[in-house]
Amino acid sequence: MKLGKHFKEAGLNRSGLNRGLKQGLTLAILIFIFCVNMYPAGAADSEVSGENLTSSEGGIFDRFITYIKALFGGEEELQDPEEVSEAKAAEMQQSAASEGAVLKIATPNVIKSASFIGDSNLGVFTHLSNPPLMKMDSEGHLAGQLAESYEVSENNTCWTFYLRDDLYWSDGEPVTPEDIEFSIRYYGKETPWASWINDTLESSAVSEANNSVTFKFNKPYTRINLEFATYNILPAHVWETVENPMEYTNSGPYVGCGPYYLKLIDLNAGKLVFEKNPYWKGKVPEAETVEVHYYSNVDVATLALKNGEADTYYKYAGSYPYSGIEQLEETGDFEFLEKTDIGLIFLAPNLEKAPFSDLKFREALAYAINYEEIVRLETLGYGEVPNRGFVPPAMENFKETEKLEYDPEKARELLEEAGYSDSNGDGILEGKDGENIEIEILIRPDYARTGELLKEYFENVSLGADLRTADSDTWMTLKDNYEYDLTVTRSTPWGMLMHASWGSGYFDSRRSGQGVMHNLDDPEFLQLCDNILATTDSSELQDYAYELQDYYAENLPAIPLYWNTVLTPYNRHFEGWYTDPLYGIYNLDNFVNVRKTEA
Amino acid sequence: MQGITRKVIRYSASFMLITIINFTLPRLMPGDPVKNLIGEDVYVSEDVMEELRTELGLNRPLHEQFTSFLLDLLHLDLGYSYHLHAPVAEILLDRMGWTLLFVGVSVLIGALLGSLLGALTGWKPERKMSRFTGFAFVMFSCTPPYFLALLSLYLFSFKLGLFPSKGFYDAPEIGSVMHHLFLPVCVMSVFSASRNFLVMRGSVIQEKKQLYALYARAKGLHNTGILFRHVIKNASLPVITLLALDFGFLFSGALFTEIIFSLNGMGTLIYDAIMGKDYPLLQGAFLVIALTALFANMLADLLYALIDPRVRRPV
Repeated sequence: MKLGKHFKEAGLNRSGLNRGLKQGLTLAILIFIFCVNMYPAGAADSEVSGENLTSSEGGIFDRFITYIKALFGGEEELQDPEEVSEAKAAEMQQSAASEGAVLKIATPNVIKSASFIGDSNLGVFTHLSNPPLMKMDSEGHLAGQLAESYEVSENNTCWTFYLRDDLYWSDGEPVTPEDIEFSIRYYGKETPWASWINDTLESSAVSEANNSVTFKFNKPYTRINLEFATYNILPAHVWETVENPMEYTNSGPYVGCGPYYLKLIDLNAGKLVFEKNPYWKGKVPEAETVEVHYYSNVDVATLALKNGEADTYYKYAGSYPYSGIEQLEETGDFEFLEKTDIGLIFLAPNLEKAPFSDLKFREALAYAINYEEIVRLETLGYGEVPNRGFVPPAMENFKETEKLEYDPEKARELLEEAGYSDSNGDGILEGKDGENIEIEILIRPDYARTGELLKEYFENVSLGADLRTADSDTWMTLKDNYEYDLTVTRSTPWGMLMHASWGSGYFDSRRSGQGVMHNLDDPEFLQLCDNILATTDSSELQDYAYELQDYYAENLPAIPLYWNTVLTPYNRHFEGWYTDPLYGIYNLDNFVNVRKTEA
Repeated sequence: MQGITRKVIRYSASFMLITIINFTLPRLMPGDPVKNLIGEDVYVSEDVMEELRTELGLNRPLHEQFTSFLLDLLHLDLGYSYHLHAPVAEILLDRMGWTLLFVGVSVLIGALLGSLLGALTGWKPERKMSRFTGFAFVMFSCTPPYFLALLSLYLFSFKLGLFPSKGFYDAPEIGSVMHHLFLPVCVMSVFSASRNFLVMRGSVIQEKKQLYALYARAKGLHNTGILFRHVIKNASLPVITLLALDFGFLFSGALFTEIIFSLNGMGTLIYDAIMGKDYPLLQGAFLVIALTALFANMLADLLYALIDPRVRRPV
């Protein structure tokens, strides 16, 4: 009985061993077959792609990926080029041609609502279908777009715009001066951000004879040509029946008069589709369709570009992420447009509060900051140390003022001269009230790294510093209530141009708005703003612009942290791109000029 | 009967409390919805801001706003979204449909897969395969869903080119929807399955030591029979609780996955509403989530009673 049991156990063990051996062998064979299959897959792929890759260069991960690709329907990639049939070649050519007819743009500017007037990102993209009257050229000069020319009265109150006579809406109707008059009045009446039109526009008149529209304002308004580079023109015959345009949502199509009209807003697919305007009489664009694909995650947008799913990248008032440039360059498919941004990142002191109201203290702060380091870390070499004059060189009427300088020793001296000393020896300077200076740096998460660096720099010159991080919304509330000492913020290109231009709109204490600091009430500055607003004379404007930059340099109402370059990648198969300081590559000229090249 | 009345009272009280919190919480948050409504770098005079406040009813005293909110709620009117320019109910219905499809399927797959594998590995934890599955699911449960989403997107979408990287579809067709949702559903399912797996596995390991399992074995019942006819029934109670909790997650917790796959779902809707202080949308969304969670809990209560007779016994 015992013997029998032993035999049984031995038998069991043997069968267990056999089973294990069989499983091991099967696994080994499977791995062998897998490897054998995988090797030619990788090799074939490298041949087809024309890359001179040896097996060791490919790496096991890439080889695995190639194999899986082949397994899931990527067979054509594994075929010998000679084996591709004529029919297949024709099909591929056709597919390439149809692909060429679509220009795809990847963007992180997400469209949240199919509201043509209510969604601000959509407003930027529809410059293509409903172009504004004016545009900005690559040098930053204003030029006519729908308007052929314009003139302004001597007292700067009366503006006449002469329309091009070859403009047609996508439904075949001609674009008339009434459309322009309607659009401008419509925005003034229906949208809160253009309510200034309602308050300022005294009268308007159209002239069919010379195809013009005249706007008369109740006070000199010298920046109308710039303002009108941002308002999309609407067809009166369509929009006059829309009662509440802010609440009007429709996925399209929308009638437009540009080279393309907006055919579809598909929020669930995450794309805008623009199709050629059949009545467009200007230069014929090459692409049949322009698609704007938006991504909630900027990394995914950059990956899409790298993967060839988009031909270019666009971010309003922003650059392609600097960290992704090298990766994209490695693909060999992209080139970059570089443009010095007219917006910038700056440090805004609370001018209503001591010691920040003290110019000497601000001077010391300016010397305490290591600009080179910030530029290196934040822009990865695509930026430069700014001047004290705030305004970046890409802006019209830029004046070369003194460069900001990192000199902690000088900062300490200045602080001492101004009466900030460490009398109790605790390592932190005291203010004029005898209390330790503890600077609260209010930052939004976007500027976390800059905030950390600033904290370090200020501590280095014996100033106490603390970071207070807030979401954008809370930041706005705190900023508007002057509940901050220092804050890091940015100016968009439009922000630099708004109000009396050259960034003045951020500081003028008489203004309020989402990103506006409204903290400078110096009569000298306010007078300068008013002077700019009251003149259209270009030489006078230049003088005032210089004065303003000198004022910034002397008074440091804000300390610029870095000027940066806006980089826009585009597929090298398309040529003819240009970029303007206001909207970057998203301008009408690009869409009619860009052509696909051979290889 | 008394038990049902107690439950009805309990759920009604919860609902009332939720409604009050719904209304007050967004208003306690710092920030001004009107300022958020205006775009960046736009100058707006104080008069226009006041006009907007009046138009949106934000200048009225809180108690008046609350009364109006309750009255609207009674008429099933959830208000109007300032930012998305559409009635809240309409927006929610649209987004909920997509979210139900994408997260609902994931929760179901996750529940089935997790429970089944959890039960099997719990029943025979000493097997190599059980250990491996356990290790894999522990790893998945420890990985944040957004990382899993990014990884799968990078691998399957960008490296292998098998799946699209964004949106619910390219063209609104069923094939395109399935193709687009495959990856997000897989990621969410794996994450959901890993949680259910761990709970179920632990539960089965505990239950199989109980006397009733031994009794079933003594009766001569086969292993599979004991597991599926007796043990799984008792072991599934914690999983039901987890599922009920997941229903709240159904509408809001998929935020990161939605962001990575650029999906126009409830997660991003709520996030944007919080960022923009879109009170009506926030109230509407929270209300829907709260009602779903309440409903799921109610369902869990009922299921408990069905599965476990002890719950039905009067206390």
